[in-house]
Amino acid sequence: MTLSRLTFTQLMPRIYTRLTWVLCFCTIGALVGHAVVGIDASVGTLLHIDGLTLIMALVVTFVSGIVHSFARRYMMGSRHFDRFFDRLFGLTLVVLLLTAADHLVLFVGLWALMGWLLADLIGLIRGWPQAQAAARRARWAFLGGSALLAAALAVLAGQTGAITISGALPRVESLSVGALVGIAGLLTAAAMIQSALIPFHGWLLSSMTAPTPVSAFMHAGLVNAGGLLLARFAPVVAEVPAVMLAVVVLGAISALIAQAWMLVQVDVKRQLGCSTVAQMGFMVLQCGLGYFAAAIAHLILHGFYKAYLFLSSGSVVVMKPPHAETSDAAGLPSLVVTGITAVVGGGVFMWLTGKSFAAPDGGVLLTLVVVLAVLHAARTMLRTTALTSAMRAVAVPLVVLPALVLYALVYNGIAALTATAPMAVDPAGFSVVHGVVGALFVLLYLAFERGWHRGRPRLYTLLLNTSQPAASTVTTHRSEYHAH
Amino acid sequence: MPTDLSVLRARVENAAKVLGRCWPLQSYIAANPLAGLEKLPFDEAVAQGEVLYKGRGYPNVAQLRAAWETGEIDAAHLADRLDAHGLTDAPAQLLDQMETAAETPVPNRSGDGPLNRAMAKWLAAFVDQGQATWAMPHRHEGFYTAWRAVARFDTTLAHRDRLRDLPKRPLEALALALSDVEAAQWETTLRYHMAALPGWASFIKWRSQDRHDAWQGAHPITMTGYLAARLHTARAIGQPVAPANLFDEARGATRNGRDQPPMAAPWLEAWEATYREQLLATLERAAPAVDTTGVAGRPKAQLVFCIDVRSEVIRRHLEQTGPYQTFGYAGFFGLPMQFQPYGSDAQITSCPPIVDPKHRIHETRSRTREETAATHDRWVALGQAGQRLIKSLKHNVAAAFGFVEASGGLFGMAMAVRTLMPGWLRTQQQAWTQHVPSPDTFCDLSLDRALAADQPEGLPLGLSTEERSYYAEAAFRLMGWQQFAPVVVFTGHASHTANNPYNSSLDCGACAGHPGGPNARTLAAVCNDPAVREDLSARGIDIPDDTVFLAAEHTTSTDVVQLFHPPALTKAQAGIVDQLRQDLRTARANTTAERARVLQGSRPAHAVADTERRAADWAETRPEWGLSGNAAFIIAPRALTAGLSLDGRAFLHAYNWRTDDRGTALETIMTGPLVVGEWINMQYYFSTVDNAVYGSGSKITQNVVGNVGVWQGNGGDLMTGLPLQSLQVDDLTPYHHPLRLLAVVYAPQGRVSRIVERNAQLRSLFDHEWMALTVLDPEQGNRRCSYQPGGTWAIPSAEPRGTQDTEPTLAL
Repeated sequence: MTLSRLTFTQLMPRIYTRLTWVLCFCTIGALVGHAVVGIDASVGTLLHIDGLTLIMALVVTFVSGIVHSFARRYMMGSRHFDRFFDRLFGLTLVVLLLTAADHLVLFVGLWALMGWLLADLIGLIRGWPQAQAAARRARWAFLGGSALLAAALAVLAGQTGAITISGALPRVESLSVGALVGIAGLLTAAAMIQSALIPFHGWLLSSMTAPTPVSAFMHAGLVNAGGLLLARFAPVVAEVPAVMLAVVVLGAISALIAQAWMLVQVDVKRQLGCSTVAQMGFMVLQCGLGYFAAAIAHLILHGFYKAYLFLSSGSVVVMKPPHAETSDAAGLPSLVVTGITAVVGGGVFMWLTGKSFAAPDGGVLLTLVVVLAVLHAARTMLRTTALTSAMRAVAVPLVVLPALVLYALVYNGIAALTATAPMAVDPAGFSVVHGVVGALFVLLYLAFERGWHRGRPRLYTLLLNTSQPAASTVTTHRSEYHAH
Repeated sequence: MPTDLSVLRARVENAAKVLGRCWPLQSYIAANPLAGLEKLPFDEAVAQGEVLYKGRGYPNVAQLRAAWETGEIDAAHLADRLDAHGLTDAPAQLLDQMETAAETPVPNRSGDGPLNRAMAKWLAAFVDQGQATWAMPHRHEGFYTAWRAVARFDTTLAHRDRLRDLPKRPLEALALALSDVEAAQWETTLRYHMAALPGWASFIKWRSQDRHDAWQGAHPITMTGYLAARLHTARAIGQPVAPANLFDEARGATRNGRDQPPMAAPWLEAWEATYREQLLATLERAAPAVDTTGVAGRPKAQLVFCIDVRSEVIRRHLEQTGPYQTFGYAGFFGLPMQFQPYGSDAQITSCPPIVDPKHRIHETRSRTREETAATHDRWVALGQAGQRLIKSLKHNVAAAFGFVEASGGLFGMAMAVRTLMPGWLRTQQQAWTQHVPSPDTFCDLSLDRALAADQPEGLPLGLSTEERSYYAEAAFRLMGWQQFAPVVVFTGHASHTANNPYNSSLDCGACAGHPGGPNARTLAAVCNDPAVREDLSARGIDIPDDTVFLAAEHTTSTDVVQLFHPPALTKAQAGIVDQLRQDLRTARANTTAERARVLQGSRPAHAVADTERRAADWAETRPEWGLSGNAAFIIAPRALTAGLSLDGRAFLHAYNWRTDDRGTALETIMTGPLVVGEWINMQYYFSTVDNAVYGSGSKITQNVVGNVGVWQGNGGDLMTGLPLQSLQVDDLTPYHHPLRLLAVVYAPQGRVSRIVERNAQLRSLFDHEWMALTVLDPEQGNRRCSYQPGGTWAIPSAEPRGTQDTEPTLAL
């Protein structure tokens, strides 16, 4: 019978996979150790391992382990099997080192290397011109991001005279506002490129030429580096309140626009891509509020969520009958019931995550998002007529409460592990900007729930057009497609 | 603009004839991508495909070289074919020449990029079947109108002012767009634009012709509407409607043949000849022992399987376990029906695309099993509510952020389980199905005619007694049935795979890419109906009282054959059924062990567990080989093929020439199932020889679009045909051998000849070499007669060349 003409030793991929899982378990051990002893470790001026390092390392090795194990079966028969695993494992190591890097030059170097490897994976299929175009697009984006980062850290080193992160951060208070704004601006821009925030989303929405496991790792692991960057340099960014407000606004713009983009997408992977842009926007918004621990929790949980959805992206094909789209105007009683449920949910969230009821800060926005999610869940459940009313009534608390507890566990765990890290800054106080952003969330929620968007072809077209991939990355002729 | 619109309409229809049709993923139909060119000789059609789509129509050098080096192309046959084509160089030299020729790049259709991109964007948005939360506005008014409503806001069109005041009706708009083009060039221009995005165009062709599709009913799209939108988009981009190179292309498309004959043709022919010679020699050896008089002992049970090539393997292994007789019959069991599953609104067309559905069969809960039904309903309602909640939260503008935080942990755990423990997950799933009863355990099929339930636009519900008897009689007559065992099982088939957009391509092709279980259950119920038995008896088909009909479903990914809830059985029947269940398990173990040899990374010793894992594993891109390997279609009594290993490469249709004097059964088989076999074979053929243009590329970069199809990466044309992983062992090595179908008929040659002459379409397929036909004539001492294009028959000499030193077994 036909035997494979490609020779797969399977040896290196197997070793890489095992090693990744070993690293994952080591990280768990180290994390437990850190939680008990609470002391950071350093390797000269090169590395500094703290709580944030270990948390990020755990996530990266876990997702990478899953992707390794998945791809050993999924990528079987690919001409680029070995090359794929070399890059994937290499990328995992680079990101691991990045989470621990303390020396500024090392940090920039790893950052650039990460971008280079990722771009290479986007263009894994060498014979397919559109994949190569997508890789080029990403490579330029990452080069730009690395240059901005290098500039930011050069200024930081020049101004503080320190060559390590741990050496520079304690001295930022002495910097001039101008220097601080400059560094923070450059850092934020670099983070926005890495996390594909608007207007730097192009590379991510053009990256679906990457094999599915690459997308999973990218959306679950590598876009998170933007959050890591902001958290690492939190004292710089958080020093000037105006910068923080700008970060909130930039994050909110991506969150809301990209989530609206998602509504009009018809292909699975771009839908997930838009969702990633939105979620990264929200994560950056959390940074801007000074809730860096919440941002880290968000990017971890989003990573799991998005990796799962990418890996299962072949499962969407089900037979559906066409039906008219409806947007209902709920009656007053159900509004009252769901409203109360939502407010209670928000209260539980504040209590569980230790937010102050007496002196509200920017965290109100986070509570608001939870309130909206619970409200929407309750409304959806109430409309599910297939269930008995008793079931509907208990379903919401039954689902929402454990979910909130689970989240609170993750959040409080991260907050505790990073309590001594520089990212543990005080949240910003509530300001008008926060109020406006919160109002926007509520307005958009109401608008889409009431069906205000329907019958607006101009808006529809705008959303569809602004979320298109780069022209050179679309396979407009089938004869140009190449499988390897 | 005084244009005769009816002329234009005719031009559109004419131009669209070159296109094949593409079905949505949920009801995957294997069809010839060059179906529109089938009226041409194979070679000319392939040449047109090269011009229209830049598609390759013959196996590539690497494929031929591999076949040559492994001996799948016999040297004697090759010498013979090269000679016939006037090629004198040595085979190795010819391969090198082809390699050099292949390196010259094919010029691409230049300048179409922006236009294709714009059209792909709007087409995907329009045909979307529930993927987007916010669907394209004005869809219910049809594609052209919806496009007109959004295109004026499309700021990517540089000259969108030209789209103001477009006519309301698509045909008038198309005429306006063509006003600068000479009428004589219309058809060429239209064909050029259709072939620009062949995937989308063939999807539109299917959808605009399907009367039963609910989505087409709700959001109609026509070829005229598409072309009107496309041509006006060209104007708005600033491109000529009829590009300058159009006429070069047109010349190529109408040119008869090419400058040089395709060098691969003799190689393909020799490859086919090698396989066919081995197959026919084997059959010829078996033929003298065939007894068609029907006097052999009564078998314990008879099982009817689909003609599908995968049935051959399990039938062989089942027959080895005991006194069972098996038959091959088209897996829709001759029932042109739509099936509505329990608790669903979907009407599933469950018959082949060449047949129009005529009946509706509903699955309704049985009054005697209400409790089981209630348990089922409870769980299903809960599951659906959960899914609905997740989808609603995922897509909400504001709620998605909180949802991700709340659910991320669970997704992480699910991901770990699905990736690291797929085998364990399969066990859990099975435990779950034990716990939650499936609808077939508590539902009956609504066979009774219910006039009240007929809807004016729908098909009639149920089957009248006359209709039931008609379908039952047709089944037994077509298969040449001679005696009934105490237990007769109609076995449909389906495939269970995970995370696989192409699952439907592995389901029953005769049921339009759906599971065959419902049809099997319907026919079993029909045959158990006393009124039907009385009717049949009057027509000379005597079904003994001790015969019971059961239904089953063969899961091709795991080779489990599951019997559906049986009617009341006598003690003797129950004993046979118990033994049958046990033997089916043995047959399964042996079948999976045989399959394990050709599944990468599988070992025969763990074959059952491995197939279980493949069926449940979300990381598996090759859960089974489907119909890969198909190369022959044998219309004969099972006695001819029994005991032979055909390696899962042959469709087997039961037929007994003795019980079909007038040839009506054979004519039905040859114009029905055989033609569907040709569609399937051509799909596998073209998907293998050019996976980019006629197939759908690698699964690892596919992206499901609109819930109807896939595109590659970031978008563009719809990819039709089969994915690489369904056909190839790896990126470079095909598993499927791209050979055209050989029909083998065990019947008198004169009878076959008359049938071919009578049916122009069938004859055209043979004359134009889309498939080949060989008859083994039992009235002439099983002599082999091969149909020659043009209508003559070749009778090879007693010792055909090339067979003397070949192995008697069929080495694939």
